[in-house]
Amino acid sequence: MLSFSSFKISGSALTAEKLRLDVVAGNLANMNTTRTPEGGPYRRRTVVFAENLEQARGRLMPPVPQAARQNRMGSGVRVQAIYVDNRPPRLVYDPEHPDADANGNVAYPNIELAKEITDLITALRSYEANTTAVNTAKSLYLKALEIGR
Amino acid sequence: MFEGKTMKLLSQSLDVAALRQRVIANNLANLNTPGFKRSTVSFEESLRKAVGDQRLKLKTTHPAHIQPSSGIPRPEVKVDASTGRRVDGNNVDLEREMLDLVANQLFYNTLVQQVSGRLDNWRYVINQGRR
Repeated sequence: MLSFSSFKISGSALTAEKLRLDVVAGNLANMNTTRTPEGGPYRRRTVVFAENLEQARGRLMPPVPQAARQNRMGSGVRVQAIYVDNRPPRLVYDPEHPDADANGNVAYPNIELAKEITDLITALRSYEANTTAVNTAKSLYLKALEIGR
Repeated sequence: MFEGKTMKLLSQSLDVAALRQRVIANNLANLNTPGFKRSTVSFEESLRKAVGDQRLKLKTTHPAHIQPSSGIPRPEVKVDASTGRRVDGNNVDLEREMLDLVANQLFYNTLVQQVSGRLDNWRYVINQGRR
């Protein structure tokens, strides 16, 4: 039996990947931020994903309760945490800068452009893959409506 | 009459295709989850075995005796624990999942067409009596 859980699974991934894009955007926007409310330069953020496991086992899959009971059924993905990268900041010698220390060094965020862009593209491609999964699920439902026409 | 063996098998296969869609969607959703292992639905292989092995049928001496439930196996969701090529322990291969997704869609469409064909035959037979 078709249940709508396929949409929920892909939807959770779309939400998670979107959040990842937001975090990468935040990192890129703050590449040169030297002042933050907590003091010091901006620190890079990363998201950590975890598999979402079904809570009520078998409830979503009435036709194959056995399969649901024996095997743990995943139901998408969730963002487990947003971590703050605590690596030391990048030091640039610039005595003119108002935030320069006694030695004339300015602490800039520890952000590598190449890494952020790679993350951006990975998130984008994953988003696209999940959109395709949603479209396929949709076409299955529409096809099922044609039975007996 | 409408609940023939083939019809039962077709509807069971539709269920399997729907389940497979769900499992592939979950694999794709966890494309970037560290340590995640992909799952697959196994059904065709066990079905082939069950169909090929007629000895499974029980001997009946009375028409009211019951056979074990239709002999159609249940689909199983299996976790593929193999090591992927990725550093984070995740073994989801995007190309493979996309291919499975498309193949499953075609499989589903084929099944729907088969079911519709059968229903059309019955409708034809029913309507001929009215003329």
